[in-house]
Amino acid sequence: MAALTVKPFAVIAESAGQAERSSRVLAPMGGGRSLETWKRHIVRQLKDRDLSQHLKYQDLFRFYTRLLEKTSLAKGMLSCSVRHPSTNSSTISSLLHQNNQLQKTMGELAYQVVELQHQIKIKESVLEEQHTRLGEQERQFTGVFYACQELQEQVEQVQGENKELKREYDAVLERQRGAETRLREEKVREGHLLEDMILLKKQAAARLNCRNERRSRARDANLQKQLQGAARSKVTVNIESSSSARTSGSTSLKKENQDQDSTERRHTRLFRSASATSPRILTSIRELFDRKRRGHSVCSLEEDLMCPVRICLSARVPARALQMLDAHEQGINAVRFSSSSDMVATGGTDRVIKLWEVRTGSLTHKATLDGSTEGITCIEFDPTGYKILAASYDKSALLWQRDDSVPKLTLTGHSRKVTAARFSSSPHQVVTGSADRTVRLWDLHRAACVQEVEVASFCSDLVCCANCIISGHYDSKIRIWDSRAASCVQELPAQGKVTSLDLSTDHRKLLSCCRDDCLQLVDLRMWSNDRMCFRAEGFKCGSDSTKAVISPDSCFLAAGSADGSIYIWNASTSSLEARLPDKHSSSISAVSWSLSGEYVVSVDKSRRAVLWSDI
Amino acid sequence: MADDKDVLRDVWFGRIPTCFTLNQDEVTEREAEPYYLLLPRVSYLTLVTDKVKKHFLKVMKQEDMEEMWFEYEGTPLKWHYPIGVLFDLHASNTVLPWSITVHFKNFPDRDLLRCPSHSVIEAHFMSSIKEADALKHKSQVVNDMQKKDHKQLWMGLQNDKFDQFWAMNRKLMEYPTEEGGFRYIPFRIYQTMSDRPFIQKLFRPVSPEGNTHTLGSLLKEMYPAAIPNEGQQKRYQVVIHGIEPLLETPLQWLSEHLSHPDNFLHICIVRRLDEPPSPSCLLVFPTVTSAP
Repeated sequence: MAALTVKPFAVIAESAGQAERSSRVLAPMGGGRSLETWKRHIVRQLKDRDLSQHLKYQDLFRFYTRLLEKTSLAKGMLSCSVRHPSTNSSTISSLLHQNNQLQKTMGELAYQVVELQHQIKIKESVLEEQHTRLGEQERQFTGVFYACQELQEQVEQVQGENKELKREYDAVLERQRGAETRLREEKVREGHLLEDMILLKKQAAARLNCRNERRSRARDANLQKQLQGAARSKVTVNIESSSSARTSGSTSLKKENQDQDSTERRHTRLFRSASATSPRILTSIRELFDRKRRGHSVCSLEEDLMCPVRICLSARVPARALQMLDAHEQGINAVRFSSSSDMVATGGTDRVIKLWEVRTGSLTHKATLDGSTEGITCIEFDPTGYKILAASYDKSALLWQRDDSVPKLTLTGHSRKVTAARFSSSPHQVVTGSADRTVRLWDLHRAACVQEVEVASFCSDLVCCANCIISGHYDSKIRIWDSRAASCVQELPAQGKVTSLDLSTDHRKLLSCCRDDCLQLVDLRMWSNDRMCFRAEGFKCGSDSTKAVISPDSCFLAAGSADGSIYIWNASTSSLEARLPDKHSSSISAVSWSLSGEYVVSVDKSRRAVLWSDI
Repeated sequence: MADDKDVLRDVWFGRIPTCFTLNQDEVTEREAEPYYLLLPRVSYLTLVTDKVKKHFLKVMKQEDMEEMWFEYEGTPLKWHYPIGVLFDLHASNTVLPWSITVHFKNFPDRDLLRCPSHSVIEAHFMSSIKEADALKHKSQVVNDMQKKDHKQLWMGLQNDKFDQFWAMNRKLMEYPTEEGGFRYIPFRIYQTMSDRPFIQKLFRPVSPEGNTHTLGSLLKEMYPAAIPNEGQQKRYQVVIHGIEPLLETPLQWLSEHLSHPDNFLHICIVRRLDEPPSPSCLLVFPTVTSAP
């Protein structure tokens, strides 16, 4: 019985074993399928496991846990309430305490609620604000969008216009090209025509020449015939008649010649006018321009021609100040009348030269010449009055035209300040003296130094007369140079540092001013040491560059003193003629006497210029 | 491959429904309700039972509390085995939920290790990983990892974060393709019948002839009794993670996918419940029956 029962079981087990074996055999052969088998088996078993062990109990456990919590809570509460009556006395206080605490916590919670509500409000307001901002942004965006669209439309429109323009432009270009080709054709035709015309003119000229020659030959023959006739005829010995005849003959001859000339000229002129189209007319125009340009140059022919010689017969001793004005922004170093006496130039430390017109006893500012980079030390007008020469602290001498504020020429080369600059007696030459102990001769045409003379001492001033240059020096000597040989001809002694030199208009007398407060007048013709000294009570030479002058009629000498007064001496008697005080408040640096003898201008270190006259 | 990933996921999220009841002998203020919990198979008992402790605390006095320990049908449960192993080994054929008794007194120092804090579990877990890697890669991979990588492994387990754990554990499961597997397979074979806690020996995933070793070949060498002989009824269940894989399943694949987070392949060999009487029993049984 047992065997019977066991048998089928064993069969089943065997069949299972066979199945297992077959699968085990399969494993190395059909790897893919068997691999799937064991893996699928595992996956399936895992799923089953989870189903039976996990998922079934999951919810149950969760609910149970929740219930457990609830019951514990309820139990806690119950125990509290149960305990309450049993232990009255002790628990009341604890309950009260609890109550207090609860109330406190409630208060706190209420406060928190209020606070949170407040926060909510704030948040809501912020939200609202953001909403409004969002709306605004959207509105802006739509606005921008519309603007963008508009712009795009505009762009399209402009592009369309551009296309239109381009088309038009192309058409115009086409037309222009056509016109150009026509122009070219016309030019070619014009060239042909011109050539034809020139040929015709040439032929005409040849014809004319031929005719003229023929005519002159005929005339010559005629003359010959007449001469022969005359030689054959008897001559009456009547000088009068013969001379008259001769003159008449010669005049007639002349007339004939003139006639002939005029006809010839007419012919040639005809010829010229006919060939006006030829390029020669261009050259003639250019020549015209060239000449004009040359006219602007520094030393033009016209200017040189206008060189008036003015002589003053009697100078009047000034007595009254007509006008006082603060002419510059800083001290004034130099003043000079033009040779026509209608213009005064002042130059100062403020680096400009001012031109003043003198009319009816007053100075009117006309122009300002700038260009110097340092103060002006010395000014001179040329004889025509159109050019102004100035020496400057900036180691150069400058030359202006009166009507141009920009310097025409700047003569550079000195290594220290230039103290004096004068027009030389020979045209287009300028002489300068400098603190670098040289005297230089400049050619204005070339704007270059042509001669340089080294002197032993600082040159403070110089003057020029025919072929000689006279310079004053700090070593108390006046030297006379031959400007052609550049050699020192003579040395004249002085009492002190020479501050200025002046030459009378007739070039005979030389005035020098020295630092020993004494003016010297030397007669240059004497070539001797004979001299006149001029001093005065209170006269004091104010600086190393104080300028004294001789009146244009050579009768008076004028100089400004350190005390602000002008002293005027009589040149012949060497006595003080006048003293003009009180108008200047500081040391007078220069004085100039007009060539008309009418005015004197004095300038000082405190910017003031005074115009003096006798009326 | 998608299947492999699902297998990993299923292994990780395997749960055992458990009912914790307080031991009758414990002194309580009032009656303790049983506590039900789904225990993760791959975790450790002391790591996931904080709630249980809290639950029973409510009904007990503080001074009566000593270290908590667990017991199932008289067997103290070793916390240093994964929960799944404990269940498969001791209670695979029990009626669910698994009923565990909670003790707070009389700690069986002979049978159990004490577990004062989670850091002890961490130390045990990390040492297991290192041991497994010593077998698999001569410790090269685990030594190349940084401290934070180790921490990531542990935190993944502690917080039940599958992706966090496997992002790092993937490296431990790599092997050079030319060798066809790990150096040795880290495995432990548990059984209730012997005094030895488990069997652990060196075993390569590939035989010297180049054949792939399967679960069957491993068992044949380590525990031949587990393999049913021809024509014989199966006497033992070979349980991994609560399932019985086919014996021809490649060992390397098993090690890669069915290992616990400590990188060991824990294999439980359990006597079949519906096992027909063993031959000896069969012999004995008739005698018993024939006796009357």
